[in-house]
Amino acid sequence: MTFSRRDLFIGGAGIAAGIAFTPVPWKLLGDVSIWTQNWPWIPQPSRGPVESKRSVCTLCAAGCGIRVRMAAGWPVGISGVATNPITKGALCPLAFAAQQLNFHPQRLRAVRHRGRTASWNDAQAAFQKACQDGPLLIVDSRPGRAASSILQAFAATHSGDYRVLLGQDSQALAPYAAWNGVATSALGYDLENARTIVSFGVSLLDGWGTPGRFTRLWSEKAAGRSDPELRLMQIEPSLSRTAARAWRWTAIRPGSDAALAAGLAHVLIEEHLVNPHQLVPPQTSLIDAVAQTGLSAETIRALAHTMVQRRPVVALACGSDPTIAALNVVLGAVGTSGGVVLRSNSRVLEIPVEPSTKGYSAVLLDDTIPWGFDPQPNAEVFRFAAWDGGGNQGDWLLPAPGFLEALTDVPAAPALNAETYSIAQNLLPQPEQVKTPVQFLAQIDSTLPPVEKAIQARCQEIFHAKRGVVFGEQVVAVANFESTAKLEEQLRNGAVWVGEPRHPAPWKCALQQWPSATSPWHSADWSAAWDPVVLPPLATKLYQESDLREAPARSNT
Amino acid sequence: MSARYGMVIDLDRCTGCGACMVACAAENNVPPAHSRATARTGITPMLVRRLSNGTPGADAREAFIPITCMQCGHETPCVSVCPQQAVEVDKATGIVLQMPQRCLGCRYCMTACPYHARYFNWWDPQWPPGMEQTLNPGVSVRMRGVVEKCNLCHARYHAATEKAAGAGETQIDPLDYVPACVEACPTVAILFGDLADPSDPVSIAADSPDCFRLLAQIGTDPKIHYKTTQDWIRALADRNSLRSHSPEAQHV
Repeated sequence: MTFSRRDLFIGGAGIAAGIAFTPVPWKLLGDVSIWTQNWPWIPQPSRGPVESKRSVCTLCAAGCGIRVRMAAGWPVGISGVATNPITKGALCPLAFAAQQLNFHPQRLRAVRHRGRTASWNDAQAAFQKACQDGPLLIVDSRPGRAASSILQAFAATHSGDYRVLLGQDSQALAPYAAWNGVATSALGYDLENARTIVSFGVSLLDGWGTPGRFTRLWSEKAAGRSDPELRLMQIEPSLSRTAARAWRWTAIRPGSDAALAAGLAHVLIEEHLVNPHQLVPPQTSLIDAVAQTGLSAETIRALAHTMVQRRPVVALACGSDPTIAALNVVLGAVGTSGGVVLRSNSRVLEIPVEPSTKGYSAVLLDDTIPWGFDPQPNAEVFRFAAWDGGGNQGDWLLPAPGFLEALTDVPAAPALNAETYSIAQNLLPQPEQVKTPVQFLAQIDSTLPPVEKAIQARCQEIFHAKRGVVFGEQVVAVANFESTAKLEEQLRNGAVWVGEPRHPAPWKCALQQWPSATSPWHSADWSAAWDPVVLPPLATKLYQESDLREAPARSNT
Repeated sequence: MSARYGMVIDLDRCTGCGACMVACAAENNVPPAHSRATARTGITPMLVRRLSNGTPGADAREAFIPITCMQCGHETPCVSVCPQQAVEVDKATGIVLQMPQRCLGCRYCMTACPYHARYFNWWDPQWPPGMEQTLNPGVSVRMRGVVEKCNLCHARYHAATEKAAGAGETQIDPLDYVPACVEACPTVAILFGDLADPSDPVSIAADSPDCFRLLAQIGTDPKIHYKTTQDWIRALADRNSLRSHSPEAQHV
């Protein structure tokens, strides 16, 4: 058989036609695209039973209700709880990725002593020695928890001091507490009944207080309305997120909040826009306010008139500036519905920690203390933390449980108008190498009760008082619970107890003179509420993969 | 009857908190940013942009606009150009679906999308060690080299249909199918529902004269509607200038 030139052409044409019509190249192309998506190093989600559990977020003191979706025993999704009476299903952006935090590369998993790995026994021995050498200071930033009472008891029995590091929201209430002799934790803002809110730079729509509380309130009563039921007047130098959405935004010079508050008080008193009272008008004249704020006298007058058009009106501040608190006294917003109210009868005054903590031999910082707090004492510092924020922020760095790894309770968040109580169940097992401050101290003093006992005692207290309502899957009055155990079970399953709103009792305000201003303090945003050492990796969506937010100032994100 | 799932996003309620962006990424197993990722190369199926009226001083006004796949209902550009049939419109829901297992990564669809709502996986998806245990088991992780976008949390739709089927129903309970961004919005700025159902709240809201759609005049019939009472935002939308490169719509 011979192979002719004709056969070559026929064969070539046949091959060309075959290639054109065969599905093989296309199949290979498709298969390659599949193969290249199945490399072994591509992470696979966990497989296993899926369940949904309710708990409470413990990233900050707000204690928002969360629903945690668990797969194979791991949290794989977090959402808000719509039936939570405070947050109404809202959460801050960080909470939606909080399940990632326990695996953050900066998670502390070993005891460290001045940068070197040490053991819990070493830390315990060093702590005991430091306690023998001199007085002990324990600092807590979320007082009122079961753990706080145990820390307080340890300090009392070991000749030590227990001090509180107040957050921004609590600091704003500190002047009223000082003037009226009540605890800061007993005070709150009755925003739900206010009709005008004058905010001096407070990030009301960007994480202030309990994130969902005001955003939902604003959404229901003000958003998108030209004449809203709730007027939000934002006084702030720059166009913040809150200012951008406020009913009125007044731009003032940075640092002139106190001068404006004094100017407004002048107008309110002189033009008889408020009821007469004993408070001496501020020394700062309207002319001074004009000079300092950059606003005209007419603008300040108009602002004062607008403020009182719709009452109740309340002014909010970020820091502990007493002039804005005094403005509330002038407005008659203290002790009245829609103003600053007493939410409990607590008279237990929290003693704030001094910036300088000299005179102590040992300082124990609870894991709720923000990383930025550096007491600089001449003492051995034992800092509990779940994540390492870098730098030398303590002689001893003691690994604490991470997100949802330890049982804790959550008392009422600062600035709420009612008492609340909830329990954050430990949905995840506590790693062996971490300890809570209470567990650490219990090894030194075996008489200390565990947190479980202290929580039981608190539940018993609520049960016997027979007041308030528990918001869980159903809403049940405390009086209808059969036993403390049933109440505790509900709370451990993510329910929240809310005390009955008290009728605001008018206060006899001891303030006679206009206070002098302190340095202004403008709040930052949602991340400031928690002051996180680390952010969940997905927060990069907000500042790296978009320009929605500025990148955190810290390097350890 | 076929549904037409869509949204009405109230721009007067959006505070730009970004909760929708994080919740979307967590629900859909979108990886954290690669160290070299930028606003251009990152993956944000829901992206909140900042708008400004461009006026300085006390007259300055700002708003936020969440941008996601517009779920085009007519002449869907990404479907038309895909050589792999990796994009299709689900006739039962109206959702524009992206199938990463078919995607070759040619990125024609990204070029064709008038809303810049599609994202390319430039890097292998990576989480810090152990963190993969927190991934949503209902959604597959996408590989480097494929395009992805918002699919209105289609895994949740599947879960809702299975739940309905288990109960012997053919229609899902609307409460069982809510995308993650809608659920996460703290100000209830995003309404979600069936635009084909005239009684659905989202359908009623979309008929409001305050509503508009982005680039509606190009005839893609987007199912994402925006609502605002602020004239300057409407003016921006009418001028089709809601692009990140324009001075008015800064990606600040």
